[in-house]
Amino acid sequence: MVIVRRVKPLPYWIIPIIALLAGIAISVIILYVLMGASPAAVLSAIVYGFTRPGVVAKTFVALTIVGIALLVSFKGSIWNIGGEGQITFGLMAATWVALFTALPYINPGLAQVSMILLAMVAGGIWALLAALPRAYLGLDEVPVTLIMNYIAYYIVDILVRGPWLGKHVYNYIRTDTIPAQVMFPQVPGTTMTWDGLFLLIILFVGVWYLLRNTSIGLRIRILGNNPNLLRSSGISVPLMIIVALTISGFIAGSVGALYLGGDVYRISYPVEAHTANYGYTGILVAWLSMLELIAVPIAAYIVSALYTAGIQYQILVGGHLGQLLTAGSAIVDVFIGSILLMYTILITISEYKIKIIVKR
Amino acid sequence: MAAEANNAKPTFLSPPQEGKKPIVSLRGITKRFPGVIALDHIDLDIYPGTVHALLGENGAGKSTLVKVLYGIYTPDEGEIIINGRPTRLTSPADAINMGIVMVSQSPQIIDTLTVAENIILGLEKYNHFVPVTKVYKTIREESKRVGIKIDPGIEVWRLSYTQKQLVEILRAILLGAKVLLLDEAITYLPIEEKQRFYKFIRRFADEGGTVVLITHKIYEAMDVADKITVLRRGKVAGHLDRKEATIEKIRALMFGERSAEITYERLPTAQPEPKTILEVKDLWVMGDFGGYAVQGVSLEVKKGEVLGIAGVAGNGQKELIQAIMRLRPVMKGRIIYNGEDITRKTTYYLRVNGVGYIPDLPAKYGVSIENSIIENIAVLPVYSRGIINWDKIRELTLKLIKEFEIKTPSPDTPVKFLSGGNIMKVLVARELTVATNLLVAYNPTRALDEATAIKVRKIIKEKVLKNKVSAIIASEDLDEIFQISDRIAVMNSGKIVGVFPADKAKREEIEHLMVM
Repeated sequence: MVIVRRVKPLPYWIIPIIALLAGIAISVIILYVLMGASPAAVLSAIVYGFTRPGVVAKTFVALTIVGIALLVSFKGSIWNIGGEGQITFGLMAATWVALFTALPYINPGLAQVSMILLAMVAGGIWALLAALPRAYLGLDEVPVTLIMNYIAYYIVDILVRGPWLGKHVYNYIRTDTIPAQVMFPQVPGTTMTWDGLFLLIILFVGVWYLLRNTSIGLRIRILGNNPNLLRSSGISVPLMIIVALTISGFIAGSVGALYLGGDVYRISYPVEAHTANYGYTGILVAWLSMLELIAVPIAAYIVSALYTAGIQYQILVGGHLGQLLTAGSAIVDVFIGSILLMYTILITISEYKIKIIVKR
Repeated sequence: MAAEANNAKPTFLSPPQEGKKPIVSLRGITKRFPGVIALDHIDLDIYPGTVHALLGENGAGKSTLVKVLYGIYTPDEGEIIINGRPTRLTSPADAINMGIVMVSQSPQIIDTLTVAENIILGLEKYNHFVPVTKVYKTIREESKRVGIKIDPGIEVWRLSYTQKQLVEILRAILLGAKVLLLDEAITYLPIEEKQRFYKFIRRFADEGGTVVLITHKIYEAMDVADKITVLRRGKVAGHLDRKEATIEKIRALMFGERSAEITYERLPTAQPEPKTILEVKDLWVMGDFGGYAVQGVSLEVKKGEVLGIAGVAGNGQKELIQAIMRLRPVMKGRIIYNGEDITRKTTYYLRVNGVGYIPDLPAKYGVSIENSIIENIAVLPVYSRGIINWDKIRELTLKLIKEFEIKTPSPDTPVKFLSGGNIMKVLVARELTVATNLLVAYNPTRALDEATAIKVRKIIKEKVLKNKVSAIIASEDLDEIFQISDRIAVMNSGKIVGVFPADKAKREEIEHLMVM
């Protein structure tokens, strides 16, 4: 028996599927060994997660958009780990429109659009700030975007504790609730909003078009493969790095508006404890998609179903509310961590194949 | 079927019998890749104490064969017999254990470490507790013994390409190499440096070592090999002894009927117009490690002529070409293109104004191998600004594939699945199409076999003649310079030391100026 390098790669969808199944199996074992959780209960929670599109919808929309956002920069080999910060900046911008302008009272529809657009601009600017040192100084974007997540949290914390502190919040440290007319309307029977659904469709089609039919999209893809070709073709490599990362942040920023207008309706202090962590979970979505745009919604659905399954498991086995929130998210982490681990191992193994050779 | 064809030419195909037993034998080695048979029942005997050249055109299967010998690929069929024993090589570590060590065209050493550190990395007998001074001593003694002069304490990034290759060979010997696989390891060396390598190779073989020299350059094989095996389309086309080998015989084996196309006659001379397309005035350009690589170069290219720049590698040609393409800053002097001062303009400006560029090491600088042919063409700013018209680019790509006879299943095939020659054709086809005014090239045919190289030169020259395009071509290959140029400028130590009309230029005089 020998192990040799594979000449022809496996079809790209095989790895994520095996990783998913193996990851779930491992999670079931971990939960059984550590918590004595009945595998049947865990599996039924998973089935619940996968068969309730209406419940999963909100998380699905957010994760798909973040997945698309990260895909744009990952295609150019620019590793945007800063989705979280870009979302937080988007959240901040949307809150400003909803609470501190007169727009919600003049034209609620326009206000909602402005919340989303301004959130995108804010996310884009936050990504641009990381892109500039990457492009012109060669500073690694991974730590820079990661650290900027925390800077974004703390900037918003300062605002919430200070100038943005609500007038009708009793002793809580948080902003006022946004006016009812800018709360995004829900799609009946689901947890998602119309705003989110439309945004998702527009962004999906837009990025598909961008990557496929525009020179920017082509150059981002070539940036990821061989920047030397861009240079000898007369295309500025720093500029393409900036474009890729800024577009990525621009798209991610919109999730901040969705989170405000369709989920939390206000910012609570400290923001880092109240985030849904879409920016980080989105990295998993982007990887599971193997950077194929078509596969992003599929990966997002899987991850959001598991997310829902973790919460559902706690409901099934009981427990009071506080425990439910923390343990529920811990179970989600077990699922996601196991799958990502399996994925990482499999992607390496998949480059090899085992050949059985019969000795004469 | 293959066996029958082989039997038809028994004189070439029975390996010469010797008293000695072969150190490495291949029997019926076959390797398939999706859609192609890269190696088709290869039989080969390599004897100790010989230099054995493996020759073949681009895509003949040389690289695959070497990878099989080095354990990177395992063959689908056939066996490898080392020292009389059938052996299975499943990794380079296996091969190294059997005394087979490869040196490839790109040095596999770490730039930030010293020569000694690089060498120790691969050697098990030096563990963490061996004093550095002892290692230095061993390296010094060993390098003296094999005739390679190198300071073990020097950091690798300070070394020239030739020196890096020598470090690789030194490491191979310290690893206990009995069989050295040189995979195009000397192809990219400057001509006079090759002589040093030949001497070393000879010495290694005379002391009982075995060298397998993989190359597409016939003269390399003729210069140093004892035995020559020619591969053609994945099969052994013939085995030759050095004594019976002639260039004509080898060409016939390598290229078959295409060998008739090989000629080093000068291509037709252009009739340039008086208009100056490119003018370089007193140009000073820095090299990679400080110091001026280009020192006050002035030259002129007229409309519709080819200016060849001859010179030994590392005399400033690369920097001059990059400065003209605006890929390297100009310290002093001016570059004028089409009447416009471009000294402060960008590469983009040139690329959208009719300048084609064929860089050295095309797979690294000229194409993106992960992307498809059509994408590699679309990337140029002349073809894609804003929204890409894929229909138009597909039409152009299909036209170029046909015109340049690029062998590919489709225009959407990633470039990495093409052979070296076809990758080069994609690049040349693309650049000749955008070069409506000027073509700038550096070693445009170095990666190509003779027949393809000559074909590319013909294509370039035809374009120059037909469309009155100008070209500035720097090359380390003097045959190429003579074949394609209308005027020849000789570059030495960053200066132009002479300019000659090509039809009157004397080869000896130019060679003398190159190394003066």
